[in-house]
Amino acid sequence: MNARLMTAVLAAKTLRLVIRLSGGGATAAPGLAAEYIDPHALKKLGKYYDGALLVTGTNGKTTTSRLLGNILNEANINFIHNRSGSNLLRGLIGTLAENFSFTSRKKKLALLEVDEVTIPIAVQSVEPKVIVFNNLFRDQLDRYGEVDKIRKIWQKALLQLDSETTIVLNSDDHSVSHLAGSTKAKVIYYGIEDDGLSLGKLPHAADFTSCISCQSELRFDQVYLSHLGKYRCPSCGLKRPKPDVYASDVYLDQENGFKARIVTPKGTFELDVSLPGVYNIYNVLASVSAAVACGINLSVIKRALNATTPAFGRTERINVNGKKLFIALVKNPSGFNEILRLLGTNRNDKYVLIAINDLIADGRDVSWLWDVDFEDLVTDPNLKKIRVSGIRAADMALRLKYAGLAAESEIETDLETALEASIEEVPKGDTLYILPTYTPMIKLKKILARRGYSTQFWED
Amino acid sequence: MANGESKPKLTIGWLYARQMSTYGDRGNILTIWKRARWRGISVSVREIDFKEKVDPTRFDLYFFGGGQDQAQKKVSDDLIKYKKEDLKKAARLGSVFFAICGGYQLLGQYYRPFAQPELPGIGLLDVVTVASNQRMIGNIVIETNSMLPKIGGNLMVGFENHSGKTYLGKKANPLGKVLVGSGNNGEDRAEGAFQGNVFGCYLHGPVLPKNPFFADFLIRKALARHYGEVGLDHIDDNLELTAHDAAIERAKTSI
Repeated sequence: MNARLMTAVLAAKTLRLVIRLSGGGATAAPGLAAEYIDPHALKKLGKYYDGALLVTGTNGKTTTSRLLGNILNEANINFIHNRSGSNLLRGLIGTLAENFSFTSRKKKLALLEVDEVTIPIAVQSVEPKVIVFNNLFRDQLDRYGEVDKIRKIWQKALLQLDSETTIVLNSDDHSVSHLAGSTKAKVIYYGIEDDGLSLGKLPHAADFTSCISCQSELRFDQVYLSHLGKYRCPSCGLKRPKPDVYASDVYLDQENGFKARIVTPKGTFELDVSLPGVYNIYNVLASVSAAVACGINLSVIKRALNATTPAFGRTERINVNGKKLFIALVKNPSGFNEILRLLGTNRNDKYVLIAINDLIADGRDVSWLWDVDFEDLVTDPNLKKIRVSGIRAADMALRLKYAGLAAESEIETDLETALEASIEEVPKGDTLYILPTYTPMIKLKKILARRGYSTQFWED
Repeated sequence: MANGESKPKLTIGWLYARQMSTYGDRGNILTIWKRARWRGISVSVREIDFKEKVDPTRFDLYFFGGGQDQAQKKVSDDLIKYKKEDLKKAARLGSVFFAICGGYQLLGQYYRPFAQPELPGIGLLDVVTVASNQRMIGNIVIETNSMLPKIGGNLMVGFENHSGKTYLGKKANPLGKVLVGSGNNGEDRAEGAFQGNVFGCYLHGPVLPKNPFFADFLIRKALARHYGEVGLDHIDDNLELTAHDAAIERAKTSI
């Protein structure tokens, strides 16, 4: 280890310790310091680890990598993980630096969720054994520009891989499955085989609906979520690849979770997971596929998944004095649509608090709210009350008005005041559905922890 | 509405609804739809897709949103091959056009990408657009052009996200002057363009819900084709104006 890297590692470790002792929870600072001291830290640190499992995609990075982490735990594999979700370069460096051991010679595996655009440098720096590509949707266009650009960035990053790496691809997402054509890596596909889950038609927010090979419009025999489904190109004959790992006989149990039969090349098993919604079926399938690629036993995988609970703010459920809070991060049209779909599956009275900020981590452009389909929510006969909060509360209220909300939603820009008022009006036994973008979610978490309703996320 | 013998009707053509609607621009269609309906005006919206020809007498208003750069060539080809002449005729016959971002660029003379042939537009607006390395992203506020006295408001707010730089020719006038943000090209403080009944701009947000006076302005212009000059019933715009003011405040402080 050279001096510069050692300084960087020590700085990160020290900073982390100081932050912890002072009760703070910022996750990026140590990595940022290490990156500043040694810009090549990731590549150098990568050598001290026994390869990496990378998880990327617009939605489901945190949940999928946590699922995979649970499986690795169950399999007694030693690994490190950027569990708090800090997934930019500084977060990856921070994770590798903080977990660096000056004493132990035993190399650990690195499980890393990786921001979409950070994939190229991650692929170059750590030796990826498995890379999961979960999905690709329009998201934070103010930061990335365009969604197709990300697909091209991934395509380019995959060119340098060989068959030492397995890439795990969602067969139902054309933009993801198409990546197989640009790499020598081994490929495992996963998808859904249950026509009963089909939406019937593409939602407005669907992104990749034309054939990447020949530009013709794709035909969709099933649409499971956004542009994910069973597609084919009528003009060049391209077809959705048949998945190696898939879910069939799915039963969605409202916001409690789902049951499904999981079929893999190594065998079949029944799963009962407490993660709700169709998007979580994909997250589960992604983690199963990655675990199978690592050679982990199916019974271990099953045990780990059955015991899983949601990650912080990702369809998390909290009990407050006999009232239930259901918190689901919303950050792009496809994700928001799926949360609304989940809300639509039950006939309970609904109290809803939506919090929209426009800080950098949320995306500064709130235009995307108009690509979300709120029409079913506002006409839901069980909807009792919607309150909107956050910096862009008025934008959200306006969106709901034009979606057809009969009474105006209540605007309260201050999150804590809004939360208090919303909890207050929910009857005992009923659920308050809280749908925040990223920064209000973090803030909520702090508020709830301060009030003793939940633990701080960096402790869990 | 004046003399309500028969219910007035507004017919909207939505150009490339699927490909050219990446940034919430469908909110503009929804806004026109709702605001017309709230006044008892019936509305029909028809999506105009690839390979379709357009009947130049059919639509009162054409909406053309923004898409991804990759769609730009495909749309340009289709416009030239199937729609250019009829759309030009429609504009001559009094149809109103409203286009955002990529749609705005293709209503112009051409879009010139890096190291690739120019993509021709249909030339309804005397503007040209040139690709640049500078992505102009952020909240934007403009002061509307005083040459549009009946527009009904003087500040418009939205969110811009483009790298094409648009320059106006002699026949087009800017829609407004940039107060916050980059606008057409980040150089001359102009934003958007209009020429007769044709309007284009870079404002996402989407622009119409938060700038309701401009939505009504377009509705009135579009109705004029069949009904002449009409007034629109007053509706409660409290929430719209709250969002408008909040967005302007945000634009001023967030840069």
